[in-house]
Amino acid sequence: MRSRFAAYVHGDLDHIENTHAKEVRDSFNRSAAESTAKSVEWVNLEIRSTADGGENDDTGTVEFAARFKKDGELQVHHERSSFRREEGRWVYVDGQMNPKGEPLRVEKVGRNEPCPCGSGKKYKKCCGA
Amino acid sequence: MERHFSCTACGKCCYGLLPLTIDDALAHADKFPLVVIWTPVRQGGRSFRVTADLGITIELKKRKLAAVRIAPTAYIPPTFSCPELTDEGLCAIHAAKPQRCRTMPFSAYRDEKDQDDLMIPRSGWVCDTSDEAPVVYRDKRIIGREDFAGEREQLVRDAAILKPYAEWLLDSVPSLRMELQKLAMKPGGGRVVVAFSTLIPRLPKVDIYAFAEKQLPVMQDFAQRTARDPALADYHRRYVDCAAEWEQITRRRP
Repeated sequence: MRSRFAAYVHGDLDHIENTHAKEVRDSFNRSAAESTAKSVEWVNLEIRSTADGGENDDTGTVEFAARFKKDGELQVHHERSSFRREEGRWVYVDGQMNPKGEPLRVEKVGRNEPCPCGSGKKYKKCCGA
Repeated sequence: MERHFSCTACGKCCYGLLPLTIDDALAHADKFPLVVIWTPVRQGGRSFRVTADLGITIELKKRKLAAVRIAPTAYIPPTFSCPELTDEGLCAIHAAKPQRCRTMPFSAYRDEKDQDDLMIPRSGWVCDTSDEAPVVYRDKRIIGREDFAGEREQLVRDAAILKPYAEWLLDSVPSLRMELQKLAMKPGGGRVVVAFSTLIPRLPKVDIYAFAEKQLPVMQDFAQRTARDPALADYHRRYVDCAAEWEQITRRRP
């Protein structure tokens, strides 16, 4: 966990990739992860709780808060990560994340507007019915 | 029951939002301003089942469910024609046009037996539905269903990416679930527009920097074209926000 945080701080994406479980490796977008890591100034890592992950375990979870500055503002990435022991090494399996403030916007769809499904029908006569 | 239909290439359906398969979105990233649109469909709504199969469901009050369609979409105002529609009113990329356009007038976002009304042209459209036009729909079956089947197949394949993406974003952004629940309960419905950048981390083969370079000028262009019309203020703001985000990403390029 700590080594992966350090790797993000230093932009060492090789280490991030090398500590992924098989199923993560296939769906990992290296360029996107690198871009995100570079978009912030990392401040510190706080481990909030752990479960399992001991000498006799093959799985474990870590809940952590990674603080960073973005556009001069201090923010927190809060995640509960799962790890698994693969051939003696701990690898990252997945994580549940807290808000990062992803940009989203709610819009009304006019009843007579074309339906967002692209059918060409009025919304009220298609998916809005 | 039979329906006759023949496209006269009037170009009237080439306006406004265009939902895309993931491959189509990536292939046209240098022309279409891309977002991900999440549209709740109420239980009992005609497309509930197929939307739930291709997307996700969320729980509402009173043990009800809403299905949510998650569609990569060319975010084009209803009064704007497709950027690939030429001045002659023809498609400039006919051979490589998106699957959504190929399948018209049918839609793979609906069941095959629920296509009947799609062959009734909207007012102003010049589709030929006279007896001279070929029969394209008989007894709730599409005749010549390659494009419909092709679109459905692609949507099923996309669902394998979009479903885990949706669950992940719902966990990461709690307000998203609340907004979708609110919209699903509202009589007027609505949609949530989410930045396309949220989907890129789930597409391992996409280079985010190259993608940002394609989207940045498109967003800037649409921002400029929507700047003066107050009716398009929502669209304008979205283009400006997206342009700002893609610009930041291009600046991080190693």
